[in-house]
Amino acid sequence: MRWGFGVMVAATILCACQEKLTSPADCPALCPGGTPQVFDTVLTAVVGADSSYTGYVQAHQAAAMPVTNGLEGFEQRGLVRFLARGDSVTLRDTLRGYTIDSVALSFTLATRDTTTTGLELLLYRVAPGFDSTSTYADVAPAFVPESLVAMVPISDTLNSGVVRTVLQGTDLSKVQLSPSDSGTLAIGLRLSAPTFTGVRIGALAGNNGPVFTTYVTLDIPDTGTAKLRNIALTAAANTTVSEASPVLDTTLLAVGGAPSSRSLVRFALPPRIRDSATIVRATIELTPVAPITGLPNTNVSDTIPSAVLAKPVLADVGAKSPVSVDRVRIPKDTLEVGATAVSMEAVRLVELWIGAAARPSSVMLSLDPEASSFSHPVFYSSRALDPALRPRLRLSYLLRFPFEGP
Amino acid sequence: MRRACLLLLLVLAPGVLWAQASQFGVRGLGFPGRALAVRSQASAGGFGLFDPESSQNPAALASLGALTSVFTISQNYRTVENPAGSASLQGTRFPQLMVGGPVQKQPAAVGLSYSNYTSRDFTLVTASTIDLRGVPVNVTDNFSSRGGISDFRIAGAYRVGDKWAFGGGFHLISGSNRLTSTRIFNDPGYLSSRQRSELSYAGVGISAGVTRQFGPRFAVAGMVRSDGHVNVDRDVFRVATVDLPYTFGLGMRWSPAAVLSVGAQTIVRTWSGANSDLLALGGNGAQNTIEVAAGAEYFTDRRQPTRQPIRFGARYATMPFPLVPGEQGHEFGISLGSGVRFAQQRAGIDLSLERVWRSEGVYSERAFLVSFGISVRP
Repeated sequence: MRWGFGVMVAATILCACQEKLTSPADCPALCPGGTPQVFDTVLTAVVGADSSYTGYVQAHQAAAMPVTNGLEGFEQRGLVRFLARGDSVTLRDTLRGYTIDSVALSFTLATRDTTTTGLELLLYRVAPGFDSTSTYADVAPAFVPESLVAMVPISDTLNSGVVRTVLQGTDLSKVQLSPSDSGTLAIGLRLSAPTFTGVRIGALAGNNGPVFTTYVTLDIPDTGTAKLRNIALTAAANTTVSEASPVLDTTLLAVGGAPSSRSLVRFALPPRIRDSATIVRATIELTPVAPITGLPNTNVSDTIPSAVLAKPVLADVGAKSPVSVDRVRIPKDTLEVGATAVSMEAVRLVELWIGAAARPSSVMLSLDPEASSFSHPVFYSSRALDPALRPRLRLSYLLRFPFEGP
Repeated sequence: MRRACLLLLLVLAPGVLWAQASQFGVRGLGFPGRALAVRSQASAGGFGLFDPESSQNPAALASLGALTSVFTISQNYRTVENPAGSASLQGTRFPQLMVGGPVQKQPAAVGLSYSNYTSRDFTLVTASTIDLRGVPVNVTDNFSSRGGISDFRIAGAYRVGDKWAFGGGFHLISGSNRLTSTRIFNDPGYLSSRQRSELSYAGVGISAGVTRQFGPRFAVAGMVRSDGHVNVDRDVFRVATVDLPYTFGLGMRWSPAAVLSVGAQTIVRTWSGANSDLLALGGNGAQNTIEVAAGAEYFTDRRQPTRQPIRFGARYATMPFPLVPGEQGHEFGISLGSGVRFAQQRAGIDLSLERVWRSEGVYSERAFLVSFGISVRP
């Protein structure tokens, strides 16, 4: 008897402290307070309160150089100036002269149209004096056959990676540096292809800029031996010049371009949403004035696909408004060529607009990558006559659950 | 010092005192507790008004012969059925805690106790399809509550002669419900939503009781209690004042033989006083309840009645908070249990097993309640 009692006590203790309280509910009897209701509403941008601003990222600050042969009806060319090459090399604390054996020019292909074949990168010798203010017209005279250094074929199977050409023998004269150049080599890039297309070439700001390598033999008379060396020089500067500059319409919202444009769009949340709603989905919808243009068929190769971003504005002070860099809060929509609508899931962004420490209900639209994209989307603004074309914020939200008390 | 530690433990422990969960505790203030120690539960509550370790009748404290502390743990295994489906559930609760003892050189006793007053522990899940942005989306709603109302009683009893004992108690009624409503969308485009609220309760009550011994074999007990009202705050705002019931209890105990004792009692609570308050809050109201219990205790060892007695009983009760307006749920239970005393009667263990059936219309519940009580007489 005593043993049995002990077993029962032990079983009770062992079985204790287990919880399973979830059961199916039959509403309304077992749903005190009812069930949550999801509301859906569409807010258009505050009329007249959205604007585009230009000048954020310059062409020479871009992470890549877009080089096209008329993709958007005009040509874009790249310019690269390498670090200066000295006329001697230090070896064992002694400056040594050298003899050039060959030189190599290498570029990183970041993006291409994978369906286009027969691409060639044409390298021209240009004057090293270009700068960020240089225009297409300023450098166009250098892009003549006499200045052609090399035609570098881009393998049809190469989606991304290094494109390289080596010059030796008589071709070395094309890259010979004279005292007037201060030992600096500058190269202009142009794209040749059977159709209108473009490539994106790695740049200094993207940490994958062009490299100019010189292979030399050192002259060491005291030992009578020759030493082989190479002198690798990265880009000191690079930029892109465009045959045509986009004209901004102040009644529209533009993003991208070089220098890049951004657009500030403001929304006004109704008090009942701002004060007590739980946002479960928020979608920013933009309508392009024209179908999105750009480089098609880049999905496989594109390491930095063009996308529209909506960055939360931390303090609304106009063009220089600081924005959040928290990636979780920044929705984006990758641009598809030919798309007629852009939408971004922005619930984590809109969450910043509600609560006690609410941020301004504004977003800064931008293009990624800036100043190096083939797309230059332009959207209808809040000034569009048709409200359906204006920037919209589609919200799905729950109001405060009416907890029955008790 | 030891007594002081026990009292301190008692005061610090209110947050854990909730009784069993039930789908019939979803509405109103929750599922009512019974304020019974395990040895009274084993006889279905038939001796509750005479049991000093329970908290139903303050006059029962007079029968305490020594400082006594009691701790109760209860494990429930439930099968819930309603039109939405069925589920097997389980939970652990600590429904009764008591410390009491006689006053030196006086025919009196005092005691402190924490009892479960009502319990609202549940998690309810519903699944449905709603239309969002013109697209049907499956959603799962989860509504849960944790917590309940506890009853802290300070009571005393005074014995007049050998036959009469009178008692009185003061009750602090407090507790909280932590409510959570969650909606999960079966579409990754939607975030789940979770909203929380906390209801807190505060009130006071008084109780009085009497026991009368008619000879060595028969006794009766009665009690009356008024709990006034409870203030209900949602988060930081007062949302309601809900009237609590008057409670009337009458019980008898008879020992037809030296090895057998039988008891029966009826307790009526005027929960309908809370009806209008709960309706005003959007609830389903409340109704008066009655609980009838009868049980027996068979002593297997006539010389040591506390050594493994066999206790059993049955009870019937109605439930105060309907799931469907106008209906009233009820429960029926049978119980069985025993106990042992050891260490020269200074410690004891009681065990009870109860099977209950609850129903209200299409809603039903079956449960096994296993309760385990520890009593110490230092």
